Amino acid sequence: MKKGVLIAFEGIDGSGKSSQASLLKDWIEMRRDAYLTEWNSSDWIHDIIKEAKKKDLLTPLTFSLIHATDFSDRYERYILPMLKSGFVVICDRYVYTAYTRDTVRGVSLDWVKKLYSFAIKPDVTFYIRVQPEIALERIRKAKRKIKPQEAGSDIFPGLPPEEGFLKYQALIVEMYDKIAKDENFVIIDGNKTPKEIQMEIRKVVGEYIDYSI
Amino acid sequence: MSILIIAFEGIEGSGRTAHLEAVKRYLEKKGYGVTILGLQMSKLIGERIAQVKKNIVFERRTLFLAYVTDLADQIENYIKPSLDAGFIALADGYTLTLTAWGLARGLERGWMEDVLSVFPKPTLTFTLVSSPEEIIKRIIKKRGYLDPLSAGIDICIKDDVYTAYESYINKFQDALISLSKKEDIIHTDKEFDEVNKEIVMRVDKFTS
Repeated sequence: MKKGVLIAFEGIDGSGKSSQASLLKDWIEMRRDAYLTEWNSSDWIHDIIKEAKKKDLLTPLTFSLIHATDFSDRYERYILPMLKSGFVVICDRYVYTAYTRDTVRGVSLDWVKKLYSFAIKPDVTFYIRVQPEIALERIRKAKRKIKPQEAGSDIFPGLPPEEGFLKYQALIVEMYDKIAKDENFVIIDGNKTPKEIQMEIRKVVGEYIDYSI
Repeated sequence: MSILIIAFEGIEGSGRTAHLEAVKRYLEKKGYGVTILGLQMSKLIGERIAQVKKNIVFERRTLFLAYVTDLADQIENYIKPSLDAGFIALADGYTLTLTAWGLARGLERGWMEDVLSVFPKPTLTFTLVSSPEEIIKRIIKKRGYLDPLSAGIDICIKDDVYTAYESYINKFQDALISLSKKEDIIHTDKEFDEVNKEIVMRVDKFTS
């Protein structure tokens, strides 16, 4: 039986969701055991994916499957045992990231949903919604380079990074919007200040944590 | 002739590889181009699976998905292009072998079949089965010993590796047989040439 709480964060690159997830973890840790896991971070698959992307070895299908393997490794090794032992598990990206990224590459949503059907539904999924233009502006301000995968370089090869970013992330936003209702996303306006957003998130999470101990 | 995949399904030691090799030689003699795929043979992830297997022996779903990724990489990057060029692909273990592996470990049949539905269906399937005694003898002859990891140590911890292996083979083959069409099942505990003749007869029907 699951005793813990599962909280997922979704949003495009540059939406601020990773900072929000990490702030939330620090806050929860004052009261409960908490664990934060990031997308694409399995100990033994992560570097294969990185290498394969660099060498452009992945097709839409193997892109989808190798990320599912990565997720499953973290799910079986960390997420599930921690939930069973009562942790609050925070996922910086969950299966919905695969729903959006795989389908914009042409894999059928129906199949991707089946592929991930073993994963339990989060208690809450926060979708930090920003337009790609805003996310790009933030990346520019932070003076950080756009990574090829953030610009969807595999589906828009040859585009300048910023242009690729806007095009690719717009497709992702479109897909998130499409599934938001069915998947019960709590939609957060990502244009607000980080502090305002964190307060909004804590208000929602507070209810789950207090009742679930 | 369009896409042609011939799948050899079975547990290690069932004669999968030996019969595949024999059919390969046979087809090549007849002038066909033949290409081979199989479990843990992809450039993408094959070697890594071998390295980490013992660390993730209880992560059955992950291992299953890793095997599926491994097959997908071979099919997308090597098999499809060669089939387009008129080659025949021989699979040394394909979707039924994977599903039987998962069934023996409690993974859901429906889920596995959904995941595997993206792969091309084989034109021809040979499900190779044999008695545990025979299979174990073959493995000892080949490797010199019984590897606990291949013996399904994760699902049946028994007094000794022979007994463990025996019950694992039974579990695996029961699953495989339940997944296979009756006419596709070939018993390999006979003379090699006799079994080969049986296989070649069916291959001939599809290639000529």
